[in-house]
Amino acid sequence: MTSPVISVRAVDMVFRVGKGEAVALEDANLEVMDGDFVSLIGPSGCGKTTLMRLVADLVEPTSGEITVAGKTPRQAREDREYGYVFQAPVLYEWRTVIANVTLPLEIMGHPKARRRERARELLKMVGLERFERSYPWQLSGGMQQRVSIARALAFDPKLLLMDEPFGALDEITRETMNLELLRLWQETRKTVVFVTHSIAEAVFLSSRIVVMTPRPGRIREVIEVDLPYPRTAETRESERFFELTTQVREALRGAPHVGGDAPSAAEQPLQRTAGY
Amino acid sequence: MAPARQWFRRAWPVVCVVAVLLALMYPVALLLGMPLARQRMENLSNWERASVAALPVAEADAGGSRLPLGAGPTVDAVVSGLQRGSAVLVRGEEVLATGVSVEGTEAVLPAPLPGPAVRLGPAAGPVEGPDPDLSGRVYALPDATPPGAPLYLDGSLLVRGSLSATERADGVRTSFTVPGLADAVAGSPDAAVAIVGDAPVVEGAGFERAGDVVTFARAPAFNAPVRLITGDYASLDEDAGTIVLAEPAEDAPRIALEHVAVVEGLTGAYDGENRDFRLQHVPLLERDPGRRLFVGGRELAGGDERPAERVDGVQRSFTFASDHGIVTAEGRQLVEDLDYQRDGNVVTFATPPTRNAALRQHPDYLVSDASTGTITLAAPPAPGEPVWALSYTYYSRPGCGATAFECFLSMPQHPVPFPNWIAERIVPFFTAYPFSDSRNVIRATLYTAAGTLVSLAFGTLIGVLLAVLFVRVRPFERALLPWVIASQTIPVIALVPVLVAVLGNMGVTVQTSLVPAAIVGAYIAFFPVTVGTVTGLRSVDPLALDLMKAYAASPLQSFLKLRFPAAVPYLFTSLKLGAAAALVGALVAEVESNNRLGLGYAIIGQVQAGDVADVWILLVISALLGIGLVSLVGLLQRLVAPWERTGLGGADGAG
Repeated sequence: MTSPVISVRAVDMVFRVGKGEAVALEDANLEVMDGDFVSLIGPSGCGKTTLMRLVADLVEPTSGEITVAGKTPRQAREDREYGYVFQAPVLYEWRTVIANVTLPLEIMGHPKARRRERARELLKMVGLERFERSYPWQLSGGMQQRVSIARALAFDPKLLLMDEPFGALDEITRETMNLELLRLWQETRKTVVFVTHSIAEAVFLSSRIVVMTPRPGRIREVIEVDLPYPRTAETRESERFFELTTQVREALRGAPHVGGDAPSAAEQPLQRTAGY
Repeated sequence: MAPARQWFRRAWPVVCVVAVLLALMYPVALLLGMPLARQRMENLSNWERASVAALPVAEADAGGSRLPLGAGPTVDAVVSGLQRGSAVLVRGEEVLATGVSVEGTEAVLPAPLPGPAVRLGPAAGPVEGPDPDLSGRVYALPDATPPGAPLYLDGSLLVRGSLSATERADGVRTSFTVPGLADAVAGSPDAAVAIVGDAPVVEGAGFERAGDVVTFARAPAFNAPVRLITGDYASLDEDAGTIVLAEPAEDAPRIALEHVAVVEGLTGAYDGENRDFRLQHVPLLERDPGRRLFVGGRELAGGDERPAERVDGVQRSFTFASDHGIVTAEGRQLVEDLDYQRDGNVVTFATPPTRNAALRQHPDYLVSDASTGTITLAAPPAPGEPVWALSYTYYSRPGCGATAFECFLSMPQHPVPFPNWIAERIVPFFTAYPFSDSRNVIRATLYTAAGTLVSLAFGTLIGVLLAVLFVRVRPFERALLPWVIASQTIPVIALVPVLVAVLGNMGVTVQTSLVPAAIVGAYIAFFPVTVGTVTGLRSVDPLALDLMKAYAASPLQSFLKLRFPAAVPYLFTSLKLGAAAALVGALVAEVESNNRLGLGYAIIGQVQAGDVADVWILLVISALLGIGLVSLVGLLQRLVAPWERTGLGGADGAG
């Protein structure tokens, strides 16, 4: 472990809401090391997504300092240091599955033959090689999200930012996807930042869990997960898994839990795409 | 089997809707057409006229108290009226007997006829021509034959009669239709005789006959009247007094110098006071120069007299030509000694008649009610003095048919035609001209389709460029959008003449050019394309934009790979709207630029020609053309944007 891949120092994020202000993030500090699988967990409105978007340079912080791979977020974005997986698959409906996966490569100007080869490789990895000619609407939600993960991996970024990628999936599909993601992570040894609502998911996947609290969004606690690898379906039934989930739950409970599902001002912009 | 069933499943709602619409056209056609048909039927000016004339006795040597009247349509028509009233027997203008009744085709006299029924005059002179077929047929009447004098051949009355062809002779046509001919000559065993101009032509040598249609060996000369003899004879030349007989005769026909005839006696009370009498054949013509009425042996003067003075609202005394008669004002009978005083031929009113009132004096009688055939005499006839009609004209029947429905069927123009009439027109309509002729409908349709497609291409180009400009450079939208909207409020009808004038000045032959249609169509079509494309370009999911940002895509890449493809479904939706609108624009442009090659001109031409069924066919053609163009856009969409799930619209594309 050398220098952190992501470093967030004293970051504040304030959104203007009408004439008032909503504090989405207050004094956030976080370091993510190379090869880490970090989960951000917390109730709605705690600034998880905001933190991700700050790292990805999709928004700019009100104050504080962020570095990604030792660069400013903007530089990191322009150097394509990360792959981003959104809550929704955000596939381009006019492109076939394979064309969606090759999209980032097209934009980066890779030669055509190589990008198809790479896309096939990735589709095989996510188990969708038979669907490369399909259009997104012909796939189920889980398959679409897998295409979206393949697309994020297309240009082989060292850092993967995943914003509740499995949020819209049913429990059974989600657990399968968790296993697949874990396998992928172990194969590629990427650094992953993962936003989730699910305690079990966070414990099962992560090497570290960042527990956040809302209003204003703050990082409350960072919990190390020492479950052994390879983690399998049995891992979920182990004693240690149960202890860790309890620990996370208690950390979350310590936070004043306000209005469970009511979207906070900070998350409002994303709510528009909830129907995706 | 399966594809057929699938096709049926898709097609049956369409078939049902079309069938219902077609079925609905019948009641609608009747609803709109019957009032017009009724009007047509009730309008007396459309009625056919028939005349009532004195019936001469059919046998020259008839005597006793039963006189034969002969047979034939004209005799039947008069006799039908005589049977209702009492007939009068006259010789010339002298009344021989009243109270004559008609039984079958015989007049029954109350007392035997004193003296001969007919005094025959000289025989007509035979006219020999070069044509042997005509020998014994053409005769010249003796000089000083009174007009209308009956002709007798071997003591039997000859009935005059001929029917005219409906077509006009144009010097080329040889076939002519004579309505009613087949019935009229059905009983005659001999060859029929036609009269072309003033020359008789005999069947066989001169023409062939089939039903009501006659076909001449030589085309009749331009404007020559074509008639066929249906009675015993017809007049060849009235002035020369030549006649032609239907059947050749060995003896020449003779004219009657004096003959007995049965005429219609007017009904009414003959009590010396009643002045109202009725004619049997109604409705009467209000003004009928051929009406000859008699009281006893005195003929009544028809018509009316106008006063010598102007009716100025002040003048009270008026001078008429006669010193007797019925005075009317605005058609209302006035009463002597109450409304006016008479002093000879000067009539003085108690109060002056209103200015410009129609003041008339009817010296002998006036038609007081034409519909019931009532006339009012100026003076009552003496008791026992008969009132009789030598001849008059009446409206026999509506020209369009016996019932309102027949009149509806025979209307030259229907507001809405029956679908089967349209169907009957389809084949002749499409095959009227060869494809190489610019009047060919299919050719015109293709021409208009080409104009619309060109206009659509231009419209799309302009629309998309404007939309891109609007989305990329906001100030342009603020500056130009009001003008773009204003452009659509200008009526195309007003725009086209200006455009045509400008193009004409630029040297474009607008009558044969696609340019006006292309410009107008593009002018109409670009607007929906602009609006649709702007909406499409702005419809992009914000997350999809974030994705582009995360890939650090350039603005151009982001436009080409995200915004534009996202706008394509919107573009096609608006293109479908634009296609239909552009077609209308192209049609209007064709009409106003007098472009005879296109469908628009054909529609206007048929509307002006009044051929409603053809207009309907053209309407259906343009509708089908519109559907075709929109389907073509849809097909293009399926080729260009195969990811689309739905046939219509693109707004629900994101799923």
